[in-house]
Amino acid sequence: MAFIKTENLSFAYDDDLSHAALKNINIEINEGEFVAILGHNGSGKSTLAKHLNGILLPTEGRVTVDGMDTADDEALIKIRRTAGMVFQNPDNQIVASIVEEDVAFAPENLGIDPLEIRKRVDEALETVGMTKYKNHSAHMLSGGQKQRVAIAGLLAMKPKCIILDEPTAMLDPKGRKEVMKTIKKLNSEENITIVLITHYMDEAAKAKRVIVMNKGEVMLDDTPHYVFQNAGLLKSIGLDVPQSTELMFELRKQDIKVPLAVISDDECVTVLKEILEEDRVTD
Amino acid sequence: MLKDITIGQFFPGDSLLHRLDPRMKIVLTVLYIVLLFVAKSIVSFAAVTVFSLILVFLSKISPKLILKSLKPLLFIIVFTTVLNIFYVKGTPIFEPIDILGWQFTITYEGLLTAVVMVLRITLLITTTSLLTYTTSPIALTDGIERLLSPLNAVKVPVHEFSMMMTIALRFIPTLIEETEKIMAAQKSRGSTFSEGGLIKRAKALIPILVPLFVSAFRRAEELATAMECRCYAGGKGRTRLKQYKLCARDYISLLTVIAVFAATIAINILLQGIVFAI
Ligand SMILES: Nc1ncnc2c1ncn2[C@@H]1O[C@H](COP(=O)(O)OP(=O)(O)O)[C@@H](O)[C@H]1O
Ligand SMILES: [Mg+2]
Repeated sequence: MAFIKTENLSFAYDDDLSHAALKNINIEINEGEFVAILGHNGSGKSTLAKHLNGILLPTEGRVTVDGMDTADDEALIKIRRTAGMVFQNPDNQIVASIVEEDVAFAPENLGIDPLEIRKRVDEALETVGMTKYKNHSAHMLSGGQKQRVAIAGLLAMKPKCIILDEPTAMLDPKGRKEVMKTIKKLNSEENITIVLITHYMDEAAKAKRVIVMNKGEVMLDDTPHYVFQNAGLLKSIGLDVPQSTELMFELRKQDIKVPLAVISDDECVTVLKEILEEDRVTD
Repeated sequence: MLKDITIGQFFPGDSLLHRLDPRMKIVLTVLYIVLLFVAKSIVSFAAVTVFSLILVFLSKISPKLILKSLKPLLFIIVFTTVLNIFYVKGTPIFEPIDILGWQFTITYEGLLTAVVMVLRITLLITTTSLLTYTTSPIALTDGIERLLSPLNAVKVPVHEFSMMMTIALRFIPTLIEETEKIMAAQKSRGSTFSEGGLIKRAKALIPILVPLFVSAFRRAEELATAMECRCYAGGKGRTRLKQYKLCARDYISLLTVIAVFAATIAINILLQGIVFAI
């Protein structure tokens, strides 16, 4: 059974479905998956994300997380500790001034025993590589470090899934790299389900599955290789493709026979090498 | 300019003062403040001053930082000094001088009152800053929450109050940083904040305050969502990472402060009429 499942999910901020922010969304996310959600501004990504842990409730349809319905009040706390959420602005999600005290916030809310909280806080900080900073002032950290603290704050709840809403949008390239590395590690080593909302194509290319949203609807839902093959379609809704894919797209326009399903730099190099060698043979 | 505000700042460390139980520290600070107003003679003030210097030494906080915390209040200190020197009546030190028809004189009493007032304000700020410098904001609000917890019985929302303080302390540096950014942005568009009369200056603040408030409300909304995501549901059933237990050093500190308190009162009574008192 799917870990997160939306069934005919529609949502309007003012309950009037004639201008819905989400229209009839049906997606299933399995445990341990790494899913990226793409879409231009206002396409409903954040709105969808907030449905995945019961911050927003569907106007129509149903969302279940690990078998629990998000509309069920009784299950809400359990849903929130199962699926944690990281937001775009690193400053506005840190509650306490000192790093370790902030990481302890969620387990404190859950009424966990102080000794167990200590253990979880230390483990979580270790996982995101912030142990050295546990007694630091949170506001002195860099953006990337703040986001890692925010992730640690969720890990202390021992979630099965982490939803990240454009976590790198306000970071410098170094911070982006740190955060992406942490996210990938959580997925591969801790088997935590990752839902990553991003508008960086290279980040989406690292996922195992990409969902493209447009005007509140799911437009594509497939592997990154397949999704980025539709470069023309993505461009028509105002999205970019990874630079490697872009290059292939342009080469194709010049009638050079290259595969479109090229999303990483390495693949790109291999393909280019091949066609250059072929050229030499035919010359 | 805004960077000089050190209120609510915390400097992590492991001095004796850092390790004291926050509840005890709050109680002792309150006792100490009362003490400052109980002290009535120059002798007891000398004793209290020495005691405060010992505290600063024990905290291992650089005296420079302590002085920095006094800076925003420099004006008030100078103002009260001048006021006291010239306005307290008593035995004049020198014959009244006539300046533009005004009679100026300085009295012994005025001078002493001025010294005592300066000491009082300085010591008051020094010790209260020592409290925030050596106590993490969470420990501080935790301490207050626990000290006030009996009030829960009469339906005072103690937890909510302490949560508000935690968040306020957390966001002070963030908002100061933001204010500086907005000021820089407005300055680069030609705004001036330190020119013109009072009304002009007040008007110049509007383009700073409006964006600051808009952003503060947006922050508040996002923070509320983030707290919900982390299962916050009020104070009920919450546990805390840091557990506090009073131990020997807390009781010894309490006894020390009580001893200093008793000594001050004794000095007040014994030296009555012998040494100048206010
Ligand atoms: N709090 C809100 N109240 C009303 N409308 C909103 C609110 N948040 C977002 N919307 C609207 O919902 C739509 C989807 O927004 P959002 O989910 O934030 O998109 P994205 O995250 O993809 O940029 C947009 O048209 C936006 O204007
Ligand atoms: Mg968004």
